Amino acid sequence: MHDINLDHLFNPKNIALIGASSTPFKWGSIIPLNIFKGNYQGNVFPVNPGVETVLGHRCYPSVEDIPGPVDVALIFTPAPTVPAIVEQCGKKGIPFLVIITADFSETGPAGAALEARVIETAQKHGLRLVGPNSMGIFSSQTELHALMPPTMPLKGPASMLSQSGNVGVQMLAWGTDEGVGFDKFVSSGNEGDLNSADYLAYFAHDDATRVILAYLEGIGPGMDLYPIAREAALQKPVLLFKGGRTQAGGKAAASHSGAIAGSNRVFKAAMHQAGVIQIQTSQAMMDCAKAFSNLPLPQGNRVGILTRGGGWGVITSDACEENGLHVPPLPEDLIKKFDSLLPSYWSRGNPVDMVATISHDPFLECLEILANWNDIDAIIALGAVRATVKFPFSDKVTGPPEVTDTIKKALRFRQAMAAQPDAILTGIKNLTKLTGKPIVAVSTGPDILHRETLRDYQVVSFPTPERAVRVMSHMVDYAAFRRKNALHEN
Amino acid sequence: MDIIQKAFDRGAKNLSEYESKMVLAAYGIPVTQEKTVKTEAEATAAAAEMGYPVVLKGSGETVSHKTELDLISLNIRDDQDLMASFRGFKERKDVSVEEFLVQQMVKGNRELMAGLKRDSQFGPCVMFGLGGVLAEILDDVAIRVAPLSEFDAMDMMGDIRANKILDEFRGKPAVDRDALASLLTGLGKLGLENETVAEVDINPIKLINGKPVAVDALIVLDQA
Repeated sequence: MHDINLDHLFNPKNIALIGASSTPFKWGSIIPLNIFKGNYQGNVFPVNPGVETVLGHRCYPSVEDIPGPVDVALIFTPAPTVPAIVEQCGKKGIPFLVIITADFSETGPAGAALEARVIETAQKHGLRLVGPNSMGIFSSQTELHALMPPTMPLKGPASMLSQSGNVGVQMLAWGTDEGVGFDKFVSSGNEGDLNSADYLAYFAHDDATRVILAYLEGIGPGMDLYPIAREAALQKPVLLFKGGRTQAGGKAAASHSGAIAGSNRVFKAAMHQAGVIQIQTSQAMMDCAKAFSNLPLPQGNRVGILTRGGGWGVITSDACEENGLHVPPLPEDLIKKFDSLLPSYWSRGNPVDMVATISHDPFLECLEILANWNDIDAIIALGAVRATVKFPFSDKVTGPPEVTDTIKKALRFRQAMAAQPDAILTGIKNLTKLTGKPIVAVSTGPDILHRETLRDYQVVSFPTPERAVRVMSHMVDYAAFRRKNALHEN
Repeated sequence: MDIIQKAFDRGAKNLSEYESKMVLAAYGIPVTQEKTVKTEAEATAAAAEMGYPVVLKGSGETVSHKTELDLISLNIRDDQDLMASFRGFKERKDVSVEEFLVQQMVKGNRELMAGLKRDSQFGPCVMFGLGGVLAEILDDVAIRVAPLSEFDAMDMMGDIRANKILDEFRGKPAVDRDALASLLTGLGKLGLENETVAEVDINPIKLINGKPVAVDALIVLDQA
């Protein structure tokens, strides 16, 4: 019952924009503008009686005047006009509508009654609805930017459904900032017809989608979430960020079991059982989207840590152990290998603390030894990018030659360091491919550094070890779920 | 099931402990050996059959929280003790005890619980955790949606904070996890196959040589 093919919704050949106008600052012009600006690959048919053209495109008095078939109609007109428009779309045989218009069930009983009429009309004609009260849809394949904000998401393997339009489009925007690319997005609005489980079921078997992001608040009684979430999680990672709390089941509990099993607790347990990755913060959502989109899954929970300083290694180890990851001790033969590369006072254990090495940087050699160690499944590499080492000097400093000479030397060192990330990041990328083990880099530095690290080297990096560990812990849990179920099926 | 249907048809809010355990047993869940009796003679005969020590419980449809009502007499060692407890319950003015349950006394201080709740979104959900009278306060439970796979059942045992309670403990053997898993999957099946069952409490579950046994049980029906 959830096998609704949404290919034509996300990748339409022809779309109608009902209520399109050229008046600035109205959704009827902003969304068409975003569609045109976004280089949509199909044909666009603005609809608005009495209007000749919209943003330079010929405008039609009604959908029924549009020549040829239409796959999707977006509706921006005021709420009271929507039932009649849906009727026209039904007669035209348009299979999918995206209702941007608000003022429906979210506002109270009158709006709910109007929404019911809209749904009834749609069902009569067998057409399916996104919304009402949706912030739109996005698809990278047809470059369809049918969105309220002027967001231009990066292309990538993540697809997202969001019950909150604001949260959803913010994540698309953050994705652009952080290098996380999207394939499809839908703001599900009031879910008068199509609901989150429908989108989830579709994304589960959509080949272009490799990671699913979901922001959920309410789960309607008709939404068969558990089996669909489980089916999806068996195909690909499902990152779920749950906002709000479901209503407590109407009746008072008559037993201990009834009293203990509150609805939010049941929800969390059910999603855990389904193999869904439950995310607690918006930042973690983006971090996980980045990691799951770009890294192979770890085969177990054993982590090797490479660091340039003792303290950060300790912090990372603590975070690992507290989050169900294991930091195994280094075997003797590996210690010998590191002995030949590092100063005598290196940590001689995992975390591998290289200590301050300036003249020669053995980072990559150390990383290679760790990556090839059979007893670990993943690596956290601290200080992988040193381009941001900031010197509080400039070459314009004046003073006695002893000082200026030293500064010149320091600047040369900085240049050498700046050239080095290339080698290290390329090395991380290659080692990940070679060993199949995820390597997460940690580097202090501005957001742009992490974006460039991902864009130019496909290396996932975070500004703090705690964020790297949190992501790794989710990856380990999900990989374990997949392994256990693979075993079960055989 | 017949027992459930009959109780439902007569408008009962819950099954008696005895009936509840018959239902559990039908789903392969081990329960204490027990017998419903109405007279002192029947009580002593039942005790002789299963052997002392035994437990005597006041029973009946109106009696669903026997601990709170003080209608449980534990560790009864002989006929004389049994008779004294029997009369004590019979003479109670605050509750009407229609019948009695003579039950095998299961010793040991490891108390677990399992339960079932029908969630409006996810349907029947199985719970497992620390049992005893403090179960609600200890609040150490894991939940799974029915039907439970063998893996789900094993996985939820590890989910409770006090999961070490399932290991070997003070010279007592570890819990038979396979038996416990089959108890939990059976409970899920019970929930799926009986729509009128709203909630189930099996509390406590005790251990005989590591094998879990339902010592007390309550099945609540959905009469709304």
